[in-house]
Amino acid sequence: MKPFKALINGLFKENPVFIQLLGMCPTLAVTNSAINGMGMGLATTAVLLGSNTVIAVFRKFIPSKIRIPSFIVVIASFVTIVGLIMEGYFPALYKSLGLFIPLIVVNCLILARAEAFASKNRVISSVADGLGMGLGFTWALVLLGAVREFFGTGNIFGINLLGESFKPALIMILPPGAFLALGILLAIYNAIKIKKMAKA
Amino acid sequence: MREIVKLGVILLIICSIAALFLGLTYEFTIDQILAQRKAINEQARKEVLPEAQEFKPIDEDVLNKIISENDTIKEIYGGYKEGNIIGYAIKTAPQGYGGPVEVITGISKDGKISGVRIGNHLETPGLGANATNPSFYKQYHNKSIDKKLEVVKASPGENEIQALSGATITSDAVTDGVNYSIEAFKTITGK
Repeated sequence: MKPFKALINGLFKENPVFIQLLGMCPTLAVTNSAINGMGMGLATTAVLLGSNTVIAVFRKFIPSKIRIPSFIVVIASFVTIVGLIMEGYFPALYKSLGLFIPLIVVNCLILARAEAFASKNRVISSVADGLGMGLGFTWALVLLGAVREFFGTGNIFGINLLGESFKPALIMILPPGAFLALGILLAIYNAIKIKKMAKA
Repeated sequence: MREIVKLGVILLIICSIAALFLGLTYEFTIDQILAQRKAINEQARKEVLPEAQEFKPIDEDVLNKIISENDTIKEIYGGYKEGNIIGYAIKTAPQGYGGPVEVITGISKDGKISGVRIGNHLETPGLGANATNPSFYKQYHNKSIDKKLEVVKASPGENEIQALSGATITSDAVTDGVNYSIEAFKTITGK
């Protein structure tokens, strides 16, 4: 697959959250504010870039029978290394993202891209795929976080938009709100997609 | 049989390389990480006891005795100014809504709370996490340690703290942390 196409693919056509429904656990858990969604998304993008690159480089060396344990070792190592470097050298970043780092290991999106893409494609395309999928994941999480934050607290990115008189629906930033918001966003996304397909 | 051995060896190589990189990264970053953690703690202590010029951990036997009575207490530092002790910075980790909440409490020698800060926590953003806003933790400042602090929903009085809306558990946890610190302070100073 051509690198540019791989990049665009992850952003919209095969968006990890809205189309592939991958990585639902972090998606639902951390999106109670837009900034949290962005943090999780960007940290995941960094790991996805790293793991996709390494797996694409060594794809011919890794026998297919033991590919899954090999991928998991690579991913878990990457996550730990990113976490350690961040804590040591980027304390401000670690303060806001540190909470999400251990959650990335269990994000099936990363294993899915290793299995479905990086193990079968060239390095440059795999990097583009990692970046596209990562950013696709990020914007979906930011949108979900923003919707929940807006209805749950009246803020977006911590900036108050509705003033004191607005009575927020707390349920939106609590766990049930994640399911409600995701369900509604999925329906809207797919409605737009179907409409576009009908036109084409 | 031969294939199993071959696959095993390849997996061993992959894991060894990963372990090597992990080990190297750890070696390379650990000093910096410890320094960062120390700096963050130091910063929090300075904020809760602004008068102090330097901090020293208290006598280990005393600390262990206090911890054996209440294991939510994690660290106690004495704050010094020109060689004289002027108060204590006490770190507690009471149970909140999402996990332990680190509460750093400064108590000056004259028996007043000089400051409270929230360290690491896992509280709900938008609710419990609002405990890190100055408008919440400033409530503790200058409270007397003669009476236990209580959490109320509205119009707080002398030794009362107004709860965060929608986050009573977090408010209770922080107040517990401050109350435990007061007890520890009284144990140290023998008051």
